[in-house]
Amino acid sequence: MARTTHDVLSVEWIKLELLRTAYATRGGLLATMDPRAVLAWYVLLALAPWFTHDATVLGLLFAFSVVMVVVSRVGPLVLGLFVVGLLTEGVYLAVAAWLFGGDVDTLMALAELTLKLGVVSLASMAAFVSLDPEKLSDALLALRAPTLVAFGVSYGYRMLPIFMEEFHTIVDGHRLRARPVPSRGLFAWRTVVNVGVVFVHAFYPMMLNTAKRTRTTVEALETRGFTVAAHDPRSRQVRLAHLRVTRRDVVVLSMTLAVVLASYGAGAVHPTSFR
Amino acid sequence: MSLPRTDAPTTPSGPRPGDETHRGLLSRRPDDLTQAQKLMVFVLSMSLFGLANIVTEVFPEVTIGPIDLSVSYFVFVPLVMVCLFNPLYAALGAPLGEIVFTDLLMGDFSGLAEIEGYLQMFLALYLAGSIVRDPRRRGQVALAAVVVVVVDKLLSALVDIGKVWVGIEDAELVEGLPESIVAIEAVGLVVDVAISGVLFGVVPALWLVPRLYGKIEPLMGMSPRDPVENPVPVLRVTAPTVLTGLVLVAAGTGFAFLEGIDANVGVWEPGFLDRFGTQFLWVGVGMACTAILAVVLVARSVRERRRGR
Amino acid sequence: MTAVIEVDGFRFRYPGAGVESLRGVDLTVEQGDFVAVVGGNGSGKTTLCKAFNGLVPHYWSGRTEGSVTVSGVPTATSTVAELSTVVGYVYQDFSNQLVRPTVRDEVSFAAVNFGLPDHAARTQEALEMLQITHLADRFVWQLSGGQQHLVAIAAVMVLRPQVLVVDEPVAELDPGRAAQIYECLARLNASYGTTIVVIEHHTDLVARYARSVVLMADGAVVWHLPVAEAMARSAELDAHGVPAPQVVQVARAFERTGPVPLTPADAARWLADRGIEARPAAPTGPTGPAGGTARPVVARLDDVRHGYRGVDGRLETVLAGVDLDLHEGERVALVGSNGAGKSTMLRLLTGLRVPRAGTVTVEGVSTRDVSPSVMADRVCYLYQRPEEMFLTDSVRGDVALYPKGRDVPDADGLVDEVLALVDLQHLADRDGRTLSGGQQRRATLAVGLAMRPSLLLLDEPTSSLDIGSRDGVIAMLARLADHIRCVVVATHDMHLVAEWATRVIVLDHGDLVADTTPSRLFGDATLTNRVGLVPPQVAQLGRALGMDPPPLSVTELVARTGARPHAHASASGPHAGTEVPGGTHDA
Repeated sequence: MARTTHDVLSVEWIKLELLRTAYATRGGLLATMDPRAVLAWYVLLALAPWFTHDATVLGLLFAFSVVMVVVSRVGPLVLGLFVVGLLTEGVYLAVAAWLFGGDVDTLMALAELTLKLGVVSLASMAAFVSLDPEKLSDALLALRAPTLVAFGVSYGYRMLPIFMEEFHTIVDGHRLRARPVPSRGLFAWRTVVNVGVVFVHAFYPMMLNTAKRTRTTVEALETRGFTVAAHDPRSRQVRLAHLRVTRRDVVVLSMTLAVVLASYGAGAVHPTSFR
Repeated sequence: MSLPRTDAPTTPSGPRPGDETHRGLLSRRPDDLTQAQKLMVFVLSMSLFGLANIVTEVFPEVTIGPIDLSVSYFVFVPLVMVCLFNPLYAALGAPLGEIVFTDLLMGDFSGLAEIEGYLQMFLALYLAGSIVRDPRRRGQVALAAVVVVVVDKLLSALVDIGKVWVGIEDAELVEGLPESIVAIEAVGLVVDVAISGVLFGVVPALWLVPRLYGKIEPLMGMSPRDPVENPVPVLRVTAPTVLTGLVLVAAGTGFAFLEGIDANVGVWEPGFLDRFGTQFLWVGVGMACTAILAVVLVARSVRERRRGR
Repeated sequence: MTAVIEVDGFRFRYPGAGVESLRGVDLTVEQGDFVAVVGGNGSGKTTLCKAFNGLVPHYWSGRTEGSVTVSGVPTATSTVAELSTVVGYVYQDFSNQLVRPTVRDEVSFAAVNFGLPDHAARTQEALEMLQITHLADRFVWQLSGGQQHLVAIAAVMVLRPQVLVVDEPVAELDPGRAAQIYECLARLNASYGTTIVVIEHHTDLVARYARSVVLMADGAVVWHLPVAEAMARSAELDAHGVPAPQVVQVARAFERTGPVPLTPADAARWLADRGIEARPAAPTGPTGPAGGTARPVVARLDDVRHGYRGVDGRLETVLAGVDLDLHEGERVALVGSNGAGKSTMLRLLTGLRVPRAGTVTVEGVSTRDVSPSVMADRVCYLYQRPEEMFLTDSVRGDVALYPKGRDVPDADGLVDEVLALVDLQHLADRDGRTLSGGQQRRATLAVGLAMRPSLLLLDEPTSSLDIGSRDGVIAMLARLADHIRCVVVATHDMHLVAEWATRVIVLDHGDLVADTTPSRLFGDATLTNRVGLVPPQVAQLGRALGMDPPPLSVTELVARTGARPHAHASASGPHAGTEVPGGTHDA
């Protein structure tokens, strides 16, 4: 089989996809909002499904979340992983319930849970795909999270491509230099074992190299006032000064609230039980 | 570029009494980690576990029937960190790396449940790191690996069961549901202990820890952990520690219930109260208070310890 | 002139270290000076500079004596944070000091941390100072090394320090970008009055940009002199492991004492004043036709096109249809600016990537037909950063990884042989990361040799090495000829090209723009300007003297002048050529 370059389903593609998600380069409605408003929006939608056991309400909330995910332009990888996760989770539970003598009732009960979890997941996808690292750490800082958390977020986003590149290089080194896998074995188990061993081995150089990096980083943080900032309220004020809740944020939030209330209203008018 | 540089310290030791030594940020009394060292351990642990989590995302999964033989995480990465460095700061950093690198990146950030996940992992790692007195003892390292997975997964199983209980109307009355939930959680726990705990915990840790011991610490200007010369302050198994542990466990599970209880209080469903009686609410409120109190106490003590220097 | 830094009898010992890193340093840095600190490895340069902003002794504890006073404040009674507003520090591994996602955030980081209300204005100002305003909204990881370095400097300048310390600014940059960084530092120095302190071992840059030179040895200052006087003491510099610039070496070949030129333009005048001219005789450099003729082909690229998807999903072309044959016995240098496609071409040759169009064959095997792991029997690729090649806990383990993995007969014997060849037997059991820069490169060469490839590919094998280690690596490369059919080096190092290569492939924006020899490359001013290459000083000087093709070494240049070395002892004309002429480059 001749090898060609693939743009999808390769390690490169996953890397790019993650970066797109991380940096919210796709744009979208929530990306233009104040990060605190986005967090509030998320909390609103994430809590909403837990107040009811009614199928109408949950169905409407689920539909709304799907719309918001589309409007927020969530990437295909993230969405794909979500769908696969949701399906496998459902299949498991269904099989297990059947084993223990469950029936249609059990399945419907599970559907209720799946809908609830689905709404929460979709809401978090829409919200956190729309928040770039800076906005998210600002929002966390505004909510009085420790400075280390805010730092961790922005440092993680800064270094992630570098770490992935380095890890990839090291794994490539193993592919080229270490003992090749003689045969794939049943269900390619040899390949799987080999990948596992290579990943573990790759962490040896990775840990040492990262330790070296960390020393310079922490020393430089000291010279750039990071530790001063942790105890200085002025730093926090300056950093958060640009956060403004705009009319748009208020509109989106109140619209969402209206949709949630309307769903509950619809549920009261046309109650549908799961069983 | 190369380390150790000839003009940088690689074999530091404690300041001698009587020396006219400036107490720098890296001053070195064994029980006296400096601000910079804490930050280094924290950042390193965060970065590596974050990367490890991204890697597990692309790791192949094997599904046999309903049982998913996947690697839930590379336990060996944070485990090596808590074994080799001060377990408190390594344990604080690692779960944050997981949240930042994967949960946020994959759009899998789950709000309050994220805090609960952080507490679980922190607790599991800190406990495991405290078991290890001497990283050169293989038994301690192996035990620690299993402890991380068992504690973490047990807590998250409790949380999952809680979600079903709160999320499904009369969950306990649905035929076959309670059994299947418990069975799935039990199978999941066993699989996780076997795969994540042993295959990707004990085995790699026993390979990595001796190789890194004494080699990675000098890169960061620290001396290796040693039970005699450089004991790292860890949890001791005494009455107060056990008590703190219990409080933290309550906090971990409490957070999960917090969501559900909030919700039910909000709806004020009479049926709910009929079934459990009003005293159940007080249990919930009590747990919520314990959780909040525990979080505040832990946060305060951590901050104080940090500021104490 | 007022002193901004005063070091008085300063001694420092790292905790646990047997010897003092600084042993009684006395030094005064004047306000507005441009100081270069030179000296061999371990002479205490970095430790001294870390004493300027209080990292020594506030961050690195240890035993101190004497005092360091910065802007009238003794560092002992101040803090790192306070001192950072007076002395800015840029690290050698600068990419690790960048902690924020975008350039603007990175630059404003310190100002925000200190809670300065005018942080936005300061950020803008710092971006303008370094002329990187157009990069402000880019992600740091998208930038080239040179751009990242400018960002690191801007991020320090945002606090408006009086002194800027830069540790080996050009260690990982190509000569073109190195000049850019120095032009920037010179501008900060001239326009904003910032005192600049650089740690540097490229004396050609020191001669061109610095105003005074501090020579350090064994933790103490040997002397602190104006740059012209410092360079004139070329023998002393040499003795301390800091070879003088090539133009100085040329001058010293004719005169043992007296003033020396500091730039190629300067040197041309210096030689003219002494009546030394190029001989019109036939050139002695390698002049064979590029690309060889009847030699067997080792690897072939056939209309290769390749590109990567950017974050925005567009395909960015990296190679736009390249045809190339690599022959047996060739030493190929692959040159071109960053992003020209050098690393991509090397990766395609390894089979780690396959091209989007066209074919890559090595010894007749197409990379499309076999896995990279099989291709590794023929091709070996040595990465730019050695630590990414150290996969095991000892040099021996790394060298043995391939031979043992492929069950090569007598693998142990092979490993010993290769370790002996690179002269690392005594360090074979150490972890590669703990070795010095030069040793690390030699260890990676050993890894490559043990794979016994037909085609050896090296990415920047001399970057971030000091001059001595670099010469060692070049000598080692020269010895590979007997073991490997063809060696390709992607490099920015024009000294490596001049001293080692027999064939030069010039890439520019994905096109192969020239296939030539080193001397022809350096003789073609249009080409070198177009792709941003800076020829070695001797080649520049040779060109100024009308030598075509230009010489590749000091010896060759001296031989190709009509004059006999040391014939003009201490004959100094009216224009002795010691003043630095305006910093214009002779290109």
